[in-house]
Parts: sequence; C-alpha cells; structure tokens
Amino acid sequence: MSIKKITFRILRYKPGLIDPPQFQNFSIEVKPDMTILDGLEKIRLEQDTTLMYRHSCHHSSCGTCACKINGTESLACTTKIKDLKSISITLAPLDGFRPIGDLVVDISPLFTNISEDWSYLKNSENVKSSQMPEGIKEFKRFENCIECGACVSACPVTHKNKGFLGPAALAALSNELKKSPPKAEDLLSMAGNKNGERLCERALNCSRVCPTGVYPARHISDLHRVLKQK
Amino acid sequence: MEHIIIIGGGGTGAAIAHDLVLRGFEVSLFERGELLSGTTGRHHGLLHSGARYAVHDPAAARECISENKILRRIAPQAIEQNDGLFVALDEADLDYKPLFLENCRACGIPARELTAEQALALEPELNPSLKAAVQVPDATMDAWRLPLHFYATARANGARIHNFSEIIGFSQAEGAVTGIRVLDHQSHREYDVRGDLFVNAAGAWAGKICDLAGIQLPIQPGPGVMVAVNDRLTNMVINRLHKAGEGDIIVPQRKLTILGTSIWLADDPDAVELPKDHGPRLIELGAKLVPAVKKAEIHSMWCAVRPLIAQAEAKDPQEISRDFDCCDHKQRDNLEGLISVIGGKATTLRLMAEKIADLICRKTGRNIACKTKTKKLLHYRMFY
Repeated sequence: MSIKKITFRILRYKPGLIDPPQFQNFSIEVKPDMTILDGLEKIRLEQDTTLMYRHSCHHSSCGTCACKINGTESLACTTKIKDLKSISITLAPLDGFRPIGDLVVDISPLFTNISEDWSYLKNSENVKSSQMPEGIKEFKRFENCIECGACVSACPVTHKNKGFLGPAALAALSNELKKSPPKAEDLLSMAGNKNGERLCERALNCSRVCPTGVYPARHISDLHRVLKQK
Repeated sequence: MEHIIIIGGGGTGAAIAHDLVLRGFEVSLFERGELLSGTTGRHHGLLHSGARYAVHDPAAARECISENKILRRIAPQAIEQNDGLFVALDEADLDYKPLFLENCRACGIPARELTAEQALALEPELNPSLKAAVQVPDATMDAWRLPLHFYATARANGARIHNFSEIIGFSQAEGAVTGIRVLDHQSHREYDVRGDLFVNAAGAWAGKICDLAGIQLPIQPGPGVMVAVNDRLTNMVINRLHKAGEGDIIVPQRKLTILGTSIWLADDPDAVELPKDHGPRLIELGAKLVPAVKKAEIHSMWCAVRPLIAQAEAKDPQEISRDFDCCDHKQRDNLEGLISVIGGKATTLRLMAEKIADLICRKTGRNIACKTKTKKLLHYRMFY
C-alpha cells in the first residue's frame, strides 16, 4: 500500500490565542483511500489534540463536517485526499458564519429560517414495490438536505445581505410547499417577502457545492415561477 | 438539587442529560470533540426491533422492542419507519426460522412470515432465489439527528452542554471524586468543575476516563466497518435470517444503502484503522441479500467503535452481549461519586439513561420517577 506525505494547511483560530486566524502546516502520511476527515483525525491524535473540527457520521448524513477544501465548500468525510491531486491541501471554515475555533463555525443561523414544523421526512421515490408491507402506507425517507451550510457559505448574496433567507432555507421551504399544500399561503408569503427568493442573483454556487444533490437553485427557480403565477 | 456531571457527549450522555434535568437535577455535560463524534453518529442507523437478538440475547431483544416503540413516538422526525425483513437464503436459514419466530414472539416482537413471492413484492431488489422472509418492526434512525433531539430537549430544560471540552483529570478527597479538570479546546484554558456525582458515559473511551481516576474498567473497544453505496436499493431494513454474524445487515437511509458490519477487538479506541479487506467482504455478503449492492458505486467506508463489555475468556466477538451495565465505583473500587456506563447500543439509549438516573436517585436519596418514556422530544433543529 503506497503511503504518501501530504501537507494539510489549516486555518487555525482560537479567540484571543491565534487571533487573527493564521495558517498552520501539518505534514502527515496518508494511505490511498483516506478522506480529508481521516487526515484531520490523524492530525488531532498524533500532532495536536486541540485541533477543532466538527464530524459525526463519516458518510455524508449528518452534515457537520462541511468546510472549505482548497477554496471550495465540501464535506471532509467524503472528499478523498487522492482525488484532490495535490500534495498540499488548504482547509478553512465555512464563510459567513461566526467562527468558533479552527474549522468550527456557529451553524445555528442556518436554522433561523428552517422551521422545526417543516417535515424532515418525505415519501420515498422510485418505489418499485408491487405491494406495501402490512401496517405501512407509504415508504418514507429523510430529506436529501443534510443542513451542512455549504450552500450558504458559497452564496454571494448571503454575504452582502444578511437578511436573505438563503439557499438552504428556500430549498427546505420549497420541499415543504410540495409536501404540505395547506401551508402554501404562509410559505409563499415567506418566499416572496423582501428577504426571499427575489434576492437570488442566480450565481448557482449553491447547487454546485451541495454535497447531496439538493440543487437549491432549482428550488429557488421553482419558487420564483410559482410566485410569478400568483 | 445535586449537580451531576456527565462525561461523554454521545447518545448515552444525551439521554442521561435529558432524563436527569427532567427529574430536576442540575446537569453539566462535557465532550472532548463535537457531540456524537465518537460512536453514536457513525452507527449504521438501525433502530433495532430486537429480532436480531431474539435467539441469543432475549433480554436485549425485549429492551429493543420496547425502546423501538418509545423512540418512534418521542422522535418521529428522526426515524424512517419502514420496517425490516429477515431473509432466508438457504436451507440452514430455513432451519433457523422456527426458533427465530418462537423467540421473537416470546420477546413480544411482531414477526410476520412471508413467502419468497410476498417478500419480493415488497422489495424487488432482494435476491430472487430467497426462500422465505419475516417482517419485523426494524427502522432507520438518523444517527445524528435522533440523539440531537435529546440534546435539544435537555438543553431547553437547563442542561449545560459543553463540546470541545476535554476531561484531563479528577480531583478526589477522602475516597470520593469531587471534581473534574477540563481543558477547553477553544481557549486552551484549564478549569475545575465541582459536582456531586460523576457519570462516565464515554462509551468505548470509558476505560480511558477511569484511568484518569486511577481505576480500571472492563471495557473492550469493538470496532466495526460500514460501507455506504450510492442508491437506495431497498426501503426496508434487510437482515439475513441466521445467527448474528458479519455482513448480515443492510440499512437504507436517504439516497444511500448502508452495509454492516464487521467486528474485531481493539485495545485503543483512538488507534483504529480501516482494515483493507473488510469493505470488499461486506459488499460480497451484502450482495447475497441484495445483488444490486455489487453494482452500486461505493460512497464511503468507515469504522465505528462499539463499547463492549470485556470478557474474562476469549470469545467470538459476535457473541459478546450488547447489553449494558451501570457500574457504581463505590461498590467496585471503593471510590465514591463515580458511575460508569458499560456497553450499550443506540436503540436503548433512553433506557440506559433511565437506569443510570434511577441509580443516581438511589445514591442521592431521592425518589423521583422517570419521565422520558412518554415525553415527546423537541425537534433537533431546536438545538441550534
């Protein structure tokens, strides 16, 4: 198994200690299939136990490990080191969120405009079953959006206009609209308000960086169309 | 009320914090990294019906079915409630079926026999040569969002949750633990926190926490590998109908299919590396149940470390009970004030917490009933 030496260039930040943030280089030996998250774990265990980054599921379900990898918002857990084809990898926290320490940001503003009343479950698609199991009406599954914040970090509008609902909330709103027609009036009035879809500049960065194929820009266009028809 | 300190921000810590604040205790929880970054969040997401344990560990099976019903009620947004199948592929599996059904029924686990045709009608991607199947109330949980429901609720009820806060020592006086020393990873500041009782809920890391207190704990880290492939190949959880073994579980989740799992025993939960051959083996075994697994693109491969109860004698790791125990170190090591949680699994997190909180009530001389069985949890988004 070939082992390579790679440099992780990590933007370190510790309020009052490493402040303003500055890059620190960590050299590590990596195996072919290691992910960025595996690399971060290795650095924490072998070189600096106080390196701060978020992680939980290691398979792109929780959404905690989003950060900027070589300048682009990605998940550390599913980005393979070898796919970056680079011996130096730059890691920085997401933009537009309050930094807490190293790669960790305060993600809570992401949830300001995503209501807990909006269901996180939807009907499973492409069901090929010719019968349903006893006691189950429809197969359900979690939404694709893992609420990682990558789209919000990549969106040029969210940085200029703090009021903008942003791509994650608008995509969630659009999904809820499809699932709960009785809520349409409230949802559309939210989407159509001064901080709603009208602020989108069609940069499409949100859809480009989304790690789970939510395509928020498509949802925003859908909302735009529905609102125009009203 | 007494101040209870919880060490470890996994699923167990989440549920203990929730239970204790509901009973009126003052609660502080400390986790060295992000919450749920050890074992809980990495789990394949199976909400056990208990059927997997029905034959060899009926006590664990009964706990699972009872907790399965409770979690569906108190955190419905964190569970894909599509049930599961146990699938017989050969004669040996068919021979196992009567015992399996009998034990499921004895444990109170609804188990519905299906013919091969009926099973294929429900899940067309199953191996077409299957012999029979049994429907059970397995489900898929979101391994991050389900325990986050507990954290959201605990915090709203007053628990103080500290992530990126590592325990680096205990203070002791007259044979009792009186405080912890914490290293804050954000500020690098070290500080002391005093408490009345300390709960070691560090899971596979609980042995390391006991080392800090100068005592030993029989925890055996038992890592396992999981593989996620792109595509949701089934909607129901698919198990092999045989004695618990490697690679006999397929858990659909979102757009993914997750294959579990292998098991080996490790000494240090931090020094676990992904063995090269486990992923291909899981795909091979998974494809016996759902052949399309082989053609699907591999999405990711990772390890999670189970907190097993160490055995005195060498044993097949699959046979080590997945039950849990609470250990009062006053009785075990003559050290007052420290309780450790040993073993356990995600499905029974609430029950583990109930038993720990009952023990804390006994130790503090309080008689307060558990309220977590029926209390609907706040949505995980309320954590933020």
